[in-house]
Amino acid sequence: MLDTISLLIIVPVIFSILFVALPKSLYKILAWAFFILGVALSVKLVMDGTGVVPVPESNFAILENIVFVLEVLVILFILAVSLKYKNWPTLGLGIISAAIFGYTYANVHGAEGAAFNIDQFSQIMILIVNIVGTAIILFATGYMDHYEEHRHLNRQKIFYFTMSFFLAAMNGLVMADTLGWLFLFWELTTLCSFVLISYNMDEEGINNGFRALALNLVGGIAFSIGIVLLATNYEISTLSGIGAYAGTNATAMAAVALPVALLCIGGFAKSAQMPFQSWLLGAMVAPTPVSALLHSSTMVNAGAFLVVKLVPAFAGTNLGTAIALFGAFTFVMTSALALSQRNAKRVLAYSTIANLGLIIASAGIGTPLAVAAAIMLILFHAISKALLFLCTGEIEHTIGSRDIEDMSGLINKAPLLTMLISLGMISMLLPPFGVLLTKWVTMEVASSNPIVSIFMILGSALTTVYYVKWLGTILSTTMDKNAVHHQKPETYFPLSFLGLCIVATSILVFSIYDAFIKPQVATMLNIAPSVTGAGGQFSSEIGTFAYALIFIVIALAILIYYATKNMFAPRMSSYYLCGENSLEKDRLMFRNGLCAYDKSSASNIYLQNVFGESKLTTLGYVISILLIVAALAGGVL
Amino acid sequence: MNSFDILKIVLVLIGAPILGCLIAGIDRKLTARLQGRVGPPLLQPYYDVVKLFKKDNMIVHPAQNFYVVIYVVFVILSLLMLVFGMDMLMIIFVYTISSVALIVGGMSTGSPYARVGSSREIMAILSYEPILILYALAIYLLTGTFKLSALSTLSSPLLAYIPLIFISMLFVMNIKFKKSPFDYSTSHHAHQELVKGMLTEYSGPGLGGIEIGHFYEYVFLLGLMFMFWSSNIIIGLLLAVIAFLFVIIMDNITARVYWQWMLKVSWSILLIISIANILIVYYFYFKPA
Repeated sequence: MLDTISLLIIVPVIFSILFVALPKSLYKILAWAFFILGVALSVKLVMDGTGVVPVPESNFAILENIVFVLEVLVILFILAVSLKYKNWPTLGLGIISAAIFGYTYANVHGAEGAAFNIDQFSQIMILIVNIVGTAIILFATGYMDHYEEHRHLNRQKIFYFTMSFFLAAMNGLVMADTLGWLFLFWELTTLCSFVLISYNMDEEGINNGFRALALNLVGGIAFSIGIVLLATNYEISTLSGIGAYAGTNATAMAAVALPVALLCIGGFAKSAQMPFQSWLLGAMVAPTPVSALLHSSTMVNAGAFLVVKLVPAFAGTNLGTAIALFGAFTFVMTSALALSQRNAKRVLAYSTIANLGLIIASAGIGTPLAVAAAIMLILFHAISKALLFLCTGEIEHTIGSRDIEDMSGLINKAPLLTMLISLGMISMLLPPFGVLLTKWVTMEVASSNPIVSIFMILGSALTTVYYVKWLGTILSTTMDKNAVHHQKPETYFPLSFLGLCIVATSILVFSIYDAFIKPQVATMLNIAPSVTGAGGQFSSEIGTFAYALIFIVIALAILIYYATKNMFAPRMSSYYLCGENSLEKDRLMFRNGLCAYDKSSASNIYLQNVFGESKLTTLGYVISILLIVAALAGGVL
Repeated sequence: MNSFDILKIVLVLIGAPILGCLIAGIDRKLTARLQGRVGPPLLQPYYDVVKLFKKDNMIVHPAQNFYVVIYVVFVILSLLMLVFGMDMLMIIFVYTISSVALIVGGMSTGSPYARVGSSREIMAILSYEPILILYALAIYLLTGTFKLSALSTLSSPLLAYIPLIFISMLFVMNIKFKKSPFDYSTSHHAHQELVKGMLTEYSGPGLGGIEIGHFYEYVFLLGLMFMFWSSNIIIGLLLAVIAFLFVIIMDNITARVYWQWMLKVSWSILLIISIANILIVYYFYFKPA
């Protein structure tokens, strides 16, 4: 198994070097090869089974030195760029990070060995990172030329290098058990994110890149203080060690609460939870494949991943309740903010933060079923959100805008693309798809805490509203077909592949649960959730989600539609515009009161003056910071 | 699934539209009397549907009738799930599919009137969906499960525990029946608007299908009210009748207001009394497992 683990880190690094070494004309072949290898390696890891894999002692010393050198390089890089661009807050945070690193190196007794921990959760993350991730890189080969052409850029070597290198770091992050190594991978993903956000090298990109870097450094500092506390006070140097130490023992849980809370804050920053959310919104200036890969399906999940891994250390405690409240609050707040946005990428960014909040909330609830829901939501959300982001990018190339209002009539211009993005949206808000199933589980498990469940109920209604609005807009017809649309295999293959993944994972939801989630929760909390899957129903002790029934009824509805379609021969007619149509110009033109011609139009409701960013953001900051302080206070007391 | 269940399904499939049709007929008759008119025959909604299916299938968008099928099928499914006492939260999500289908169907036509109507209907979702889910949450807090079949284990009827949610649900009925003052998305009254909002571009068989869907939906919605006293069928039905009369009277004594007003009323008064009710249930009746 160690071979597969090392390959999962080495192969992406090799590809990142290949992308730099080889000419642009070979990128498509490289990306296909990377995709196939990524699928093969991640499947291989799943086949290898689970277990803790220690690094052989003979290699440990060398690897530890490599880790040390890389950590120093990371810090030097941060200091250098912040000096170069005179970004003093980032420089200050970099110096603090360096000081903590120096302190750790000098005073904290280093670990004797290192290990990778491959559990079912890591396997799921590896599958997401290497299958969805490489599919996104494949999409990028059909996307970036057009993107750069518009912006007069020529930095694709840096783009592919960083994207591939990021996959290596992300693979390391989800597999590493040693906290020191985990932290290195954590910081490496932050750096990749910084490089890719400032990809356009304009003022906006660089500023937003620094904001992401600074906020993630804040999280990183909390993370590293947590590591130092764990190592000096409890001699814990592995992630699995925290859970093992806390066990189900209330006193031990209370003892490690403060470092655990600090690690969670690191996770909140990475997952762009409420006081940190601005970096993810700023990150939307990056090319769409970056948003799909780092800022929705993989890197931001690392924060939620960490919080879920820490569940054994806070399940059932006050800290857990504070985390649940915090996540649920972020969910409702960012869902409200998403409602007021017209920019599709911002809607998706807020929706990503909201869903990560939901994951963190279910982790905070900490019952076996809640943890199962959290892990499943990470999986389903990653697939749906990757598809939504990539489709948005492709829409932008098709119609030249990412404003939702400009997307009306898309079904006429790019039918396949519209079907795919509709599938993505429907999977986010309606049964029988996986995201809704996990949302349903989350709402049911949250119901023993009324405040958390009220937050979730409001957030869920808001989610329905902002997606239905968008869905209706792209499916509406405005009859003009003037957009030129190119269908390239390297863009449409990843899109269709992700669409198929959504349907397949939703149909196989119970098998996925049985194979991955159930054993994972059983090892984490010593009890498996009591869920049965008989007859295509996902049933727990408090409710039943009949997903197979819905799939059957959808099939039935399609059948009924096609059976009855020919009974009523359709006759196309024009819009009803109160008899004032002007058909010779455009079917939406009408004659107004001055006998001139006007084009009729209608737009969606955004409630800017209620849910707008200027109205809600400050409130969000205040309450979320209070909740974090409460979580920390809960940790100390 | 035994033969009794199949009988139940058949009964719902056939009985519900008949009942819904009668409800719609009574509505029109009562409304006419309240307005000092004689009104149409009781079976007028039935004659309307029959006639609609004989009309030409005029469409502006090839797929617009697909959404009608989705709407009708999922309304029927949510009604069946209600009859079989399944998971309330799940029923609400299935019911959302049908509401979304109608909204997207309206928008898919591209007509500006339909798009305005659909946008308003989306705002209606924002107004009523939290209350519906709070209703489901109350059922969980009282019985320990979201399954409606567990309501029979309660010692008192649901109404005794959640009277405030009952009041909110009356307004939800008003919104979902698309009756004045909440009929912004599409109205039953000619005097309220010149163009039929969300359903502007639907005519002939498409509109007939929507009408049939409405029949099922009326039964489903009144079924939700029936659940407040499901242990006694007569009182349960009485609650449904009261809700129905409330909707009709409100329809006739109020005029349409802005959709913003609906949102304000529901997110302030209705949501707050419902949440207060949930907190009362939580502190006095909820027994953690």
